[in-house]
Amino acid sequence: MTDTLRRLMRTPQGALGSVLLVALVLACVLGGAAAPYQPEAMDFAGRFAAPGVKHWFGADQLGRDVLSRLLVGARSTIPLAVAATFSGAAIGACVGTLSAYLGGWWDEAITRTIDAVMAVPHLLLALILVSTLGKGSLNAAFAISISVVPSMARVTRSVALAVRQQEYVKAAIARGESGSWIVLREMLPNVAAPVIIEATIRVAFAVMLFATLSFLGLGAQPPASEWGLMVSEARRFMHQAPWVIVAPSLAIAATAICFNLLGDGLRDALNPRDER
Amino acid sequence: MRPVLEIRDYALDYVTQGGTQRVLQAIDLAITAGEVVGLVGESGSGKTSLAWAIMRYLPANAREAPAGRIRLGDTDLRAASAKALETIRGRRMSMVFQDPSTALNPTLTIGRQVTEVLVRHRGLSEREAWREAIQALEHVDLRQPEALMRRYPHQASGGEKQRIGIATAFACRPELIIFDEPTTALDVITGARILELFRRLREETGVAALYISHDLALVSRVADRVAILEKGAIVEEAPSATIFRHPLHDYTRRLVAAVPRPERRLVSDQVADDALLSATNIAVRYQRKRLFRPTPRPATANIAIDVRRGEILGVVGESGSGKSSIARALTGLADYTGRIALAGRRIDSAGDMDRGYRRAVQIVFQHPDSSLNPRQTVADILSRPLRLYGGDVSTIPSLLEEVRLPAAYAKRYPHQLSGGEKQRVAIARAFAARPDLIICDEITAPLDVSVQASVVELLLRLRAANGTAYMFITHDLNLVQQVAHRIAVMRNGEIVDLFGIEDLRSGNVHPYTRELIAASPAPVG
Amino acid sequence: MSIVWLLRRLLTVLYTLLVVSIVVFGLTQLLPADAAVTLLGENATPEALAAVRLRLGLNDPAWLQYWHWLSGLLRGDFGTSMRTDQPVGPTMFIALSRSLLLGGLSIAVMLVIAIPLGMLAALRRGKAADVVSGLVSYLGVSLPEFVTATLLLIVVADHFQLLPATGYVAPSENLADSIRHLILPVATVSLILVAHVSRMVRSETIDVLNSDYIRAARLKGLPPHTVLMRHVLRNALLPTITIVALDVGYLLGGIIVVEEIFAIPGIGRQLIVAITTRDLPSIQAGAMIMAGTYAIANTLADMAYAMIDKRIRYD
Repeated sequence: MTDTLRRLMRTPQGALGSVLLVALVLACVLGGAAAPYQPEAMDFAGRFAAPGVKHWFGADQLGRDVLSRLLVGARSTIPLAVAATFSGAAIGACVGTLSAYLGGWWDEAITRTIDAVMAVPHLLLALILVSTLGKGSLNAAFAISISVVPSMARVTRSVALAVRQQEYVKAAIARGESGSWIVLREMLPNVAAPVIIEATIRVAFAVMLFATLSFLGLGAQPPASEWGLMVSEARRFMHQAPWVIVAPSLAIAATAICFNLLGDGLRDALNPRDER
Repeated sequence: MRPVLEIRDYALDYVTQGGTQRVLQAIDLAITAGEVVGLVGESGSGKTSLAWAIMRYLPANAREAPAGRIRLGDTDLRAASAKALETIRGRRMSMVFQDPSTALNPTLTIGRQVTEVLVRHRGLSEREAWREAIQALEHVDLRQPEALMRRYPHQASGGEKQRIGIATAFACRPELIIFDEPTTALDVITGARILELFRRLREETGVAALYISHDLALVSRVADRVAILEKGAIVEEAPSATIFRHPLHDYTRRLVAAVPRPERRLVSDQVADDALLSATNIAVRYQRKRLFRPTPRPATANIAIDVRRGEILGVVGESGSGKSSIARALTGLADYTGRIALAGRRIDSAGDMDRGYRRAVQIVFQHPDSSLNPRQTVADILSRPLRLYGGDVSTIPSLLEEVRLPAAYAKRYPHQLSGGEKQRVAIARAFAARPDLIICDEITAPLDVSVQASVVELLLRLRAANGTAYMFITHDLNLVQQVAHRIAVMRNGEIVDLFGIEDLRSGNVHPYTRELIAASPAPVG
Repeated sequence: MSIVWLLRRLLTVLYTLLVVSIVVFGLTQLLPADAAVTLLGENATPEALAAVRLRLGLNDPAWLQYWHWLSGLLRGDFGTSMRTDQPVGPTMFIALSRSLLLGGLSIAVMLVIAIPLGMLAALRRGKAADVVSGLVSYLGVSLPEFVTATLLLIVVADHFQLLPATGYVAPSENLADSIRHLILPVATVSLILVAHVSRMVRSETIDVLNSDYIRAARLKGLPPHTVLMRHVLRNALLPTITIVALDVGYLLGGIIVVEEIFAIPGIGRQLIVAITTRDLPSIQAGAMIMAGTYAIANTLADMAYAMIDKRIRYD
């Protein structure tokens, strides 16, 4: 573990991504405690204040400090997206590995069905689910989790198939190892790495998807300070206070970039061959 | 007379993350018109780098020493500009590559790829070039060249593609052609025919050639002179007629000693006719019948094969002959129909192969890179068979010693070992179970000849100590003649010949076997 | 192309459409315990609930409901909107045509920009052009469409007043005006596509540039531009078709958002309206049409790829 961490920090992407991740985690954990102002504190006199010494990112239409709302909003935006991705990835990985291991007719049936489900674009699938389950952060997260399953299953399956072809798996079969041993001890460590990398990058998509759903009014509901929701609410006032839109947008972008960088860094760090 | 190619005091470095690596040093080489010079070296010797240096196609991290000189006739290649090189390449010097499948662009027709050289360098029009190209293909013994020109590379066989490559290289009548292991990726028989073609063309055109290879035996048959390259330096240069008989340098001697010579038997004992494993009516089929697709052909027809206790059975054949399929069937890695009997006990399907069978029949695979799990240490890898078959994990150091590896290697990961070392670990893994039979599926094919020799020596020593039988699958006819008691010859999924080694001497073999042996270059001298 | 091959492709598409229809129908009508309550809300009167149930056939067993809906689809009857009481089909298809215009233009713009950009980055690998385009791509992929759209709106339409902010004008009405209204939406959608596709093109081109056959072509003495045009281009472009096909999925997602922000009456907008007003038949029809379009687009791309790559022809 520490070895992987060290290698991660050696790549520029990994290092930068980790720094960003730490910043985001701090924002989530500390939330309002780290904010300079109370996120709900309204100040009608200071409405639409431009970014400056008093309000680093300016103030919104109700005089609330944007930075404070951003920090609190981290908790509404990120953890659910991460949880949704990893739970969907876990399920997808199981489906994919199973399909690869079974092979033959089962594999073909499962793959075709996954491909068919993937014909429904992620946002559309999430929208349909939310329209049925109702608006709200949890439902949006659930919808995202479901939408992650097919693509992760596909990726896992192709990795698992490639690993299955390797001769060390054949050696294990020839030795008479049990199926569960082969899957867990021979295949999984080699399948896990690419899947983890893929899942990390998907978190970026999930965060963006979650923000989009909230933007459309179907995810987090007011008065939550979820970042997508902040952009949506600020649209009306974009003439007077463009910074109220820019700040959460940058926050979303920073989060997506963070996870993309981490994914890239992990790709190098988890590759056993690169050691010199 | 001025040599066609002259290299004087040439040195080359590669700059990598781990530091600067000297790849070639103090290279002195000259090739006169009509001469073929062979360049022999093992992997990592720098022989391919020399080819790139001559063609002036070095990677970005290459650093050439300022002093060295490379001249093609009157032209100083190192001083030539990029534009000048474009007119030299393909016209005055050309190259035939190792893998004909990857050297042709898959999305262009064959004809296009031949005519473009003619149009470019000889200023022919498209139509003239097309006609010339057809003639060129005819000249390299390709049948129906007009039809071939219109096809795409994937529609031609390996041998055909290499002939096309050769035709393209000869098309503009260059002064020098570099051949980079042109037969390595081909079957033995196809490769032998390519060599015949090469000899004929060379006589006809008198072109100067640099023939690069790892196969000293082969090179000594095609080249006039041979230069031996060890770790970037030419250690010896001699006429090919004498290099085998009188190698001077130490390294050359080791190389010559490692080359398998069919007449030098390494195994001198006899084996009793005591059947250990016999298989009858084995047919291996890889793909199930899928919807809308034609039934796939079985990989093997009905085969009967047996291995006697303690013997070495050689199984030879070209790629696609089915020899690996047999190995997979016998170890339960492929579906088969038919019957296997191990020391009398019947095995009717892969499901029947119980622990006793698995312990008795082990397999070592061809690719050391993929046969060891990259995320397990050597100790992990070796402990598995010990745990499964009632061995003791504490014997791992002695296992490593048996295969001449230091005990400290137990903590290493596969990527920290060389190819030969990995193969030794794979062998140790097979022996850990103390089996009765080990199937060696082309285990020395990817190894250098000297490493191959040491692995073979290891196998024979272990056999002497343990009495294990081997099914030694290979395409190297010379090697198998050195070690096998009996040899099975396979073609197109069938066993066409099965004979004892004595029968070989008396010539009592199938014509196909004779053809294979004739195609395998035994060393001159 | 063999009949068998075509047949197989056709069956795959049909299977896909079938699964999609099951997913759409299942999630919208069968998943909720009581769809009527989902549609009308908790406070609806029992009579209203009963009326809805009757109208949508919610009392029938699940498979029968599905069958009614599916057979309607096959006949061309997409149901009646609960909001407008008009047949859903015609509205949706008109809306689809507008979305196709938007999507088509976006793809065209994307191809014109992304392919040369990706190839240039590959050819100048490691140099300034590559690094800069890499950074821009990274950013492009990390910005959700609603962010890009809103920012473009603020800067271009609001601040500099260069283009109209929202609205749609049909090309048949007034071409110039139509274009002016479409520039920002197309720019938004293409931005993400360009970011994504140009990276893929770059990586494909790098693979091709490192291949043995390109090296062989260079060593035949062919000048660089010949190598590029004749040898590199086709091999790098072929996989692009697959990538573009996959990106149609991103496109559809992006279109929903973009139509919402720029008030373009395309199918995405219709879908959002249907969801917000809980118009079940419209939701089902809209989702089905969108997903169906994607499935068909993918198959067409698949076939185009296969036609060009002779190797697959004999699969």
